[in-house]
Amino acid sequence: MFLYYLPLIVTVSAAVICFAANDKISKILTLISASVSIPVSLYIWVLNSVSTQFLYIDAISKIMLVTISIIYLTTSIFSSSYFKHIPKPLLKKNLYWAFLNLFVLSMFFSVMVNNLGLIWIGIEATTITSALLVAIDNNFPSIEASWRYIIIVSVGLVISLVGIIFIYDQTHTLNIANMLKNHASESRIILIGSAMAIVGFGTKAGIFPMHTWLPDVHGRSIAPVSAIFSSVLLPSALFGIIRISQIAPFEDIKQFMFILGILTIVFASIFMINQKYYKRMFAYSSMENMGMILIGISLGKAGLLGAMILLISHAFAKSSVFYLTGNILSAYKTRKIAHVYSLVKNMPYTAYGLILSSLAVTGAPPFAIFIGEFFIISAVYHIYGFAYVIIILLALLTAFLSINYKVAKMSFSERKSTQKTKDEWVSALIPLINLTLSFCVLFAIPAINNILKGITG
Amino acid sequence: MKEAFVMVGFLEITLVIFMQWQVYLKKIVDTFSLSSYAISIFLFVDGAILNNINLLILSALTAVVRGFFIPFFIRKKFRKEYYLEREIKSVVPTAMSIVLSLFFVVVGYIVYHATLYNSIGLPGGSIPIALLFQGIFLIMSRNNAFVQLIGYMVMENSLFLFGGYLFPELPLVIEGGILLDLIGIVMISGIIMRLREENVSNIIDEFKEFKG
Repeated sequence: MFLYYLPLIVTVSAAVICFAANDKISKILTLISASVSIPVSLYIWVLNSVSTQFLYIDAISKIMLVTISIIYLTTSIFSSSYFKHIPKPLLKKNLYWAFLNLFVLSMFFSVMVNNLGLIWIGIEATTITSALLVAIDNNFPSIEASWRYIIIVSVGLVISLVGIIFIYDQTHTLNIANMLKNHASESRIILIGSAMAIVGFGTKAGIFPMHTWLPDVHGRSIAPVSAIFSSVLLPSALFGIIRISQIAPFEDIKQFMFILGILTIVFASIFMINQKYYKRMFAYSSMENMGMILIGISLGKAGLLGAMILLISHAFAKSSVFYLTGNILSAYKTRKIAHVYSLVKNMPYTAYGLILSSLAVTGAPPFAIFIGEFFIISAVYHIYGFAYVIIILLALLTAFLSINYKVAKMSFSERKSTQKTKDEWVSALIPLINLTLSFCVLFAIPAINNILKGITG
Repeated sequence: MKEAFVMVGFLEITLVIFMQWQVYLKKIVDTFSLSSYAISIFLFVDGAILNNINLLILSALTAVVRGFFIPFFIRKKFRKEYYLEREIKSVVPTAMSIVLSLFFVVVGYIVYHATLYNSIGLPGGSIPIALLFQGIFLIMSRNNAFVQLIGYMVMENSLFLFGGYLFPELPLVIEGGILLDLIGIVMISGIIMRLREENVSNIIDEFKEFKG
């Protein structure tokens, strides 16, 4: 049983020591903590699911644990090389590491606990632990983005708390195992409660219409923070929605989630068309992917399998994209797409990495995101018919063209300049590793299918 | 206790409307403190009548954290001449904001009776919903980060009033956790708000990115 607690113990220990230690020790401790989390999470993957008074670890939790652990390590390594690009950081380095560890701890906690109220507390805690990370650039836009993040997400989460109280009114327990065992009967109050909880957790996941914090934060926080936000924080919030959909598996709730998912991908793809800033553009891409995952969750079975493939593959590919945008920002000192050019010539590893990662996040074959989206769209066709498939395909096509056209323009456009830039090996290597992992998710699909069998049937 | 619940609820609504027309931040914080103490007293009396230790603990936590600590912390974050600190221009004019505040009370009543009344059956159940709307409106109608934070806490107060009264058996660990989270949010917000004031930028170009 101790093993199940190890990810929590390791990260909390690292966080506490980082508060007192110097920069170097903090960095080493964080890297050790992240390195330990990966084998432990992989080992938990092969162990049986567990349900105790405090822990509830099922297939979805296992998938989340492995994904968070890997992104934790790559973000830690990338941060250690990226920090020199921040001229006047808001926090001392050891505090940055401490908050990063606490942030990961709160995500681990959220996906492991056996109580809906504690999941809410964990997800709210991710806001507290990450708000200062968002503002680390220490300029007015990043501080403003951090404030918007705190207030919008917190308001959203209050709405989900109201929903959880309504659910409690019907189930008389917040213990997830008990709720799943004794399914609550469909009533108006549980429907309203579940819908409010979905809207609230959806706020944190960047789901329309409460998504407005997301592009500001992703656009203005430093690359490693944007990466960890997009790849694992948003899915951690979706994890709350998955639990709600398991507790209240009613048709109305599924349709509500489906409509929110459709609206999210449609609006995200529209916002991408005219986007002038590359980090914001990828933020909307994250929103679009979260919308697709939400659709998959709402459909269950093959849709849920597709959602999980998409979730894992997106985590690796999108973190790769954001690490690479960090390389571009540190070299070109601009977030504007129009001001970035000749990437292939100036930073070839970054350029080709960005081209491939962009193809991956927009669902180009042979990346696993394509397979995940294929499963989801097939399930949509079987349940809702062809009209919705057309809407989804149009939105995905718009996103695909918008992103890849702009990335190609940044990479291949030629302009006379005296720009002297070059790739740094750690900053170029980590994104390429994550991109490779995103591709390798293809080979893990049988394992994902196998682990999900109890849930997808 | 139903009458007491309705009375405290109306007091809460009145206090939020008072906050809505206030421009001096100190008075808004003091009003929030008063509203938290009112909820704490209500929970204490309810706990004493029901002989429910959880409610008594919750009442004490509400008084200490929401009534005392958070207002104290926010006041400390004000500038030295805090008694002069005022929000010169709000998003919505004062008179309109009061009218809208009252409008949200009516909306809360309609929403409650259309959706939850048949299931819950509590006569004053629309009060927490009205408070939730008013909290959201306080956040939207003000530019000042301190007032926005208080708007958020008004929303949470409505939950404590509602949850504490209707679900006294709700596990204390959850409500305690929520309070701990709130302390964290307020402390982090304190840092961010201070930085926000110190770093106010006049470079319009920096804000262009936030559009679209």
